[in-house]
Amino acid sequence: MKGIVFAFLAGAFITLQGVANARISQNIGSWQAATITQLTGFIAAVLIVVIVKDQKWKQFKKVRPIYLTGGSFAAVVIYGNIYGIHSIGVTLTIAVILISQLAITFLIDGKGWFGVLKKEMKVPQFIGIAMMIAGVVILKF
Amino acid sequence: MLIGLLFAILAGILVGLQNIFNTRVNDHAGTWSTTALVLGLGFLASMTLGVVFEGTELFVLKNMETWFWFSGLIGVGVVVCLVQGTRLLGPTFAISIVLTSQLGSALMWDSLGLFGLEKIPFTSQQLIGVLVIIGGVIVFKFGGSRAEQRKVTKVVKHTLKQSASVER
Repeated sequence: MKGIVFAFLAGAFITLQGVANARISQNIGSWQAATITQLTGFIAAVLIVVIVKDQKWKQFKKVRPIYLTGGSFAAVVIYGNIYGIHSIGVTLTIAVILISQLAITFLIDGKGWFGVLKKEMKVPQFIGIAMMIAGVVILKF
Repeated sequence: MLIGLLFAILAGILVGLQNIFNTRVNDHAGTWSTTALVLGLGFLASMTLGVVFEGTELFVLKNMETWFWFSGLIGVGVVVCLVQGTRLLGPTFAISIVLTSQLGSALMWDSLGLFGLEKIPFTSQQLIGVLVIIGGVIVFKFGGSRAEQRKVTKVVKHTLKQSASVER
């Protein structure tokens, strides 16, 4: 039950983040919103690293450099999220992001790219994606 | 509208890639060091692109409200809840709930139209659309895993039988 509450809150927070960014961008602009929210989030995370005496950042050098760059994608993600929410609404934006996210993960799993354990593409996953797209069509048209 | 859709598709692709990359970092460096790195780089990238597209206008923060400074903390909440949820439920179940709750709360925000967002009235058509998407998420996440489990049980049974016959 505790796990379900955490997972539920995680989803609610992700959406709230998008909505808050969209609201902030109305006052100060989209790039500004992305810059400020991540700066404050970064400061909070660094504080936590210091407080819990986490020394694991020393292991960064063991990671292949390209994987360390993932965080920078967030600039475009947040910008796209804000743009989407303003032009097509929260529900449609979140739904489209989910589908394209699951589809790319599915593709990467199937191809075994980026050192991911190769998984066989199965029929249910195709049906799942088709259902999600059908849902978006129902949502919008 | 088309540009909005394209931006959402691009954002989704980047989120998927980012998740894979971040998991690789997380394997070595743990949750908090990884979160700090990810947000730090996100900040630098946003600032850089902001300067590229808007020049020094980026640093002119008119109409700033106090709570804007704290919105970044939501991201910390996301990480804590994701990590705990996944730890307690396993990734498949946890992510299915996360996605469902994301969509459900999105529908709520649209129908409330708070925060100066355009209000999109709640209709049964929208609810059906969201339910079909959630159904798709469940089929996507849980479909095939049972077949795999069956295969595993078969193999286990087979091995047990073999070892039993060896013992005999």
